[in-house]
Amino acid sequence: MSDKETKVKVTNLTKKFGDLLVLDDISFDVGKGEFLCIVGPTGCGKTTFLNSITHLYEPTSGHILIDGKEVNLKEHNISYIFQENSTMPWLTVEENVRFGLDIKSIPREEATNRVSEYLKIVGLEKYKNYYPNQLSASMLQRVVIARAFVTEPDLLLMDEPYGQLDIELRFKLEDELLELQRRTGTTVIFITHNIEEAVYLGERILILTNKPTKIKSSVFVDMQHPRNIADEEFVEIRNKVTDLIKWW
Amino acid sequence: MKSEKKKNIIATLLTIAGFLLVWQLVSMAVDNAAFLPKASVIVLEFFKTFVNPVGKYTMTMHILISLYRVGVAFILATLVGIMMGVGMGYSKLVEAILYPLFEIIRPIPPLAWIPMSILWFGLGDASKFFIIFLGSFSFITLNTYDGTKNVDRELIGAARMLGASERQVFFKVVLPSSVPYIFAGLQIAVTAGWSSVVGAEMVRSDEGVGWLIVMGMNKGNTIQIMVGMLAIGIIGFLLAQLTTLVERRLLAWNDQ
Repeated sequence: MSDKETKVKVTNLTKKFGDLLVLDDISFDVGKGEFLCIVGPTGCGKTTFLNSITHLYEPTSGHILIDGKEVNLKEHNISYIFQENSTMPWLTVEENVRFGLDIKSIPREEATNRVSEYLKIVGLEKYKNYYPNQLSASMLQRVVIARAFVTEPDLLLMDEPYGQLDIELRFKLEDELLELQRRTGTTVIFITHNIEEAVYLGERILILTNKPTKIKSSVFVDMQHPRNIADEEFVEIRNKVTDLIKWW
Repeated sequence: MKSEKKKNIIATLLTIAGFLLVWQLVSMAVDNAAFLPKASVIVLEFFKTFVNPVGKYTMTMHILISLYRVGVAFILATLVGIMMGVGMGYSKLVEAILYPLFEIIRPIPPLAWIPMSILWFGLGDASKFFIIFLGSFSFITLNTYDGTKNVDRELIGAARMLGASERQVFFKVVLPSSVPYIFAGLQIAVTAGWSSVVGAEMVRSDEGVGWLIVMGMNKGNTIQIMVGMLAIGIIGFLLAQLTTLVERRLLAWNDQ
């Protein structure tokens, strides 16, 4: 990431809930267009970490700058993809994808063009008039991904977005995500507890410690896409990350 | 699927026919028209009232007048109910101000309000609107309140993340996601409002299906009482069907 312009700068981020210290003085940078994965033991505060970045939780201390400015959801264009399905059940697929554009008052014609472009990319144009309750889990997650990308976000935060999908669908959606990210150059922070997923997707992997969470290590994955999970180098990095994550 | 639907309709019709048959047999056994008139007599009389006036009007007019009263009160109840429900569900302060009062007023049956409603609103339609309003608004309020409270936090989070203001979160997430609850409330309320029409029309009136019953009671006319009851039942059933139909149309997304 050293050759990239800094997109996100986190300095001394600390979060306490009462006396409980969850995030302990975390500092790191994310480069523009970087795909950063964050892994850590279960319950280590990964989600708190993301929520603090977006100021969904107010950090106890520290700063998060995007393009050199303090995070502001009105000003910065951040998209967040959760593990749980967050489509609006009363909107059709098309309306769901359009949701963020309407909120940001993007002109009608431009919004329509962008929505149809992204529906095509995620392969849902045939289903644009369907309601979420008529779709499968992977299709729903595609809707959410299209909704996130269509706003052309400065930063895309993903919190175990594929945690509930079976392995085949996960692989497919991971490839789609990489392709979308390559096309749009969006900066992505991707949280997962799945080490293989992190090595498959990330340019860099941050490994967090158990609570109170600190950054334990940072591992670069200098491999071309598409990566082969059976490749010797892949296995080596995966083992390295696995060793780093062990807290026992 | 189609044949299943047909089967269900036949089952429904058989139940109704069975009910009328049992009624007919019991009334024949009792053989006292003032105590339990025959089903055949009531059904026949019911149809006759559409041609021969009872009091000033025929049945069609009585039904329309009652529907008008219920309609006006129901619209008011919907407006007030949704506003109160949304307010209490969305704002802790509004909840603190209104909820206890609402819970105190709610258990008082509409009939208990009749004397006060006459004092406050007189003998005209206003007091009838008031009684029917009280009979229906709490269902709408309570359901809307539930719906607003149970909005999926994930959806609010997703909207906030996409930059939605408080206002946008409210109108684009909270309100639409409460609609199924509001509809469930409206459905109960329309039936409850229609049921309270008798009580409302006990307040001096010359027309309406409730009046048919009250007048029948005053004259000791069992047939008129039961014809009035039948009219209330049938119209209530149709109203419930109508709300279900509207709900299906508007809430296609909620159909599992």
